[in-house]
Amino acid sequence: MPPLRDVRAELQEIFRQVFDDPTIVLRDDMTAADVEGWDSVTHIDLLIAVERAMGIKFATAEMSRLKGPDQNIGSFIRLIETKLQAG
Amino acid sequence: MQSVTLTALQHDQELLHSYLQLDAAARRPRFAEFIGTLKGISQREGAHAAGAWAARAVSPLLDYSSLMKLRRFVPRDGADAASGRVVRLAILGGPTTIQLRQLIELFLAGEGIAAEIYEAEYGLFRQEILTPGSGLDNFGPEIVFLATGARDVTRLPPIDADSVAAQQFAETELADWMQLWETAQSRWNATLIQNNFEPSPERVFGHYTLRHPAARENYLIRLNAMLPEVAPAYVVLHDLYSLAAEAGAETWFDPRFYHEFKMPCGAECLPGYAHSVVSLLRSILGRSKKALALDLDNTLWGGVVGDVGPGGIKFGQGSGEGEAFLEFQRYAKELSQRGIVLAVCSKNDPEKAKEPFEKRADMVLRLSDISAFVANWNNKADNLRAIADRLELGLDSIVFVDDNPAERALVRRFVPQVAVPDLPEDPSGYIAAVARHRYFETTSFTREDSARARYYFENSRRKELAAGAPDLEAFLTSLRMKMKVEPINDLNIERSTQLINKSNQFNLTTRRYTLAEIRGIVDSPEWCTRTFSLRDELGDNGLISVILLRKQGDALAIDTWIMSCRVLQRGVEQFARNELVDLCRVEDSVRLLGTYIPTAKNSLVVDHYAKLGFSPAGSDGAETFWELRVDASATPLTHSIERDAPLA
Repeated sequence: MPPLRDVRAELQEIFRQVFDDPTIVLRDDMTAADVEGWDSVTHIDLLIAVERAMGIKFATAEMSRLKGPDQNIGSFIRLIETKLQAG
Repeated sequence: MQSVTLTALQHDQELLHSYLQLDAAARRPRFAEFIGTLKGISQREGAHAAGAWAARAVSPLLDYSSLMKLRRFVPRDGADAASGRVVRLAILGGPTTIQLRQLIELFLAGEGIAAEIYEAEYGLFRQEILTPGSGLDNFGPEIVFLATGARDVTRLPPIDADSVAAQQFAETELADWMQLWETAQSRWNATLIQNNFEPSPERVFGHYTLRHPAARENYLIRLNAMLPEVAPAYVVLHDLYSLAAEAGAETWFDPRFYHEFKMPCGAECLPGYAHSVVSLLRSILGRSKKALALDLDNTLWGGVVGDVGPGGIKFGQGSGEGEAFLEFQRYAKELSQRGIVLAVCSKNDPEKAKEPFEKRADMVLRLSDISAFVANWNNKADNLRAIADRLELGLDSIVFVDDNPAERALVRRFVPQVAVPDLPEDPSGYIAAVARHRYFETTSFTREDSARARYYFENSRRKELAAGAPDLEAFLTSLRMKMKVEPINDLNIERSTQLINKSNQFNLTTRRYTLAEIRGIVDSPEWCTRTFSLRDELGDNGLISVILLRKQGDALAIDTWIMSCRVLQRGVEQFARNELVDLCRVEDSVRLLGTYIPTAKNSLVVDHYAKLGFSPAGSDGAETFWELRVDASATPLTHSIERDAPLA
């Protein structure tokens, strides 16, 4: 087993880079509405950055759903962890 | 007062400089620090200063996310237009173009090109062009980029169509595109950039696709082949098909991004796509690179020629590395044939540096391919400035290729206008390392392009020689002329006859002889013949002068004296006159006789014999006669030509 990654910390750093805000602190209950600048365009930048940094690929259906109303940072992190384990 | 501590600004600037002088691989771990420094600069010096630094870091070797970070610092929408004109560019997509537009903006800023960009909603390119009063119409573009692709083809032939039917479909399809181009051209006088179509690798017919004209990918290839035939000159074709092939199908055709976001290609292919389009924009605006300055040791061949000699360098057939260097030279040669000017910028002894070109028959590049050859022990920044001067090109027209990372760093730092691609350790990667930057895009090719290298070569050599040669005599000496003197023989009789029959200006008597007559002259004991072949620093001029003499008692009479005008004012006549005096002594003749018969074309030589020390010896109508007594007073005339080979 490879050592467990601190997905939350890595993701937080990606958020800070993509949204150009070094003060972002991720909480599980945060949604797109809670992050300034998280719109449909920066969402794609976020996906691209996460895929590259984590070495994973989102499925087509997951790509937009991540930003959907029933989703939050908690579910985002769990999805990444699932993919890392599967990979 | 002296201070050893740098100010915060100096410290920041040093960090930025030291980042920018590195290769991409060495920059990567320092990228975050670079971005942090830009933020500091932005706060203290303003967005404009930070933007200028950020623009210098834009590179097609960066990944998507890094480029997007740089983009925050780079001014957009022609905000930095104080310095020059602003290009009005419209991007009309089949697929979405948001990311592509952002990256095009960024690469344009990296090139220092100010642009105002109009971006259409995706899929509306036809309406935007064809509808008067559209957003595009109000914008009034100078350049329209049709960022379309295979999915924007509207007419696909039915699966059982034959070649004739497929051709009709293709013609109808392209007629639609032609209408778009013509409208854009007539309405806004716009130049267009038109993508071709990118067939996907998944083919319903498999390999049989090649045989079936209605197979989708076969049909797309047909369209691609027809595009350059139907596209007028104001339509610049952008080879999207090749971009997809370069990226690899799996990377390019990442269908998730199309299905979900209608993006044109996989995310990591977007920077390459944008950079490729910008390289065409650069070409349209006349800002492609014009010259390639090359290091020698370990760049054009393996090893150090000063140490191992021209025979010891790794080059050519026989070793893999040698072949890699050969391929790289071939690439440079092909660029030069296309009109890119080549220069050498090497730390070397100038004589030794030239030896491989002079002594190795297998060199692909010859000295005549190289318009400015600078080999010395000065620093390369100064030498590149000298090369730019000599070629009369701006530093920003030059690409400098050197295997030594220290030289690359020095040049990036001290002459940042010069483009300096990273070079891998392995020479097999050299071509790709240069080509990936698309420095030398062009939108046309003419005869002048193929002759350009020659022109720059000659002009530069003249400048080089003129610079070091304050007066004509010294100039002629610097040419290091060597003359081969021979009688007419089997090897040169045809060229001699040709010259005798076509020379009009430098021709004293304009007497024409057939090949058979010349052969008779050569075989006759009554006649003497001399031919003169000149070579010099600039090249081999070949056989450039012929003199025919006839024995007349105690004299040698010059029947014919012709010379090519290419070698006027080089001292060739003086050299030849001395040769004739020597010939008289060999033939026991005491006089040289000359005749000038004027024609409409040979006034050039009316004073020929007077200049060579002959005395007037009468005239017959317009004809004048001349005589030179070959005695102790007939001293040799001065010239700067060395005899090449002893007369047999």
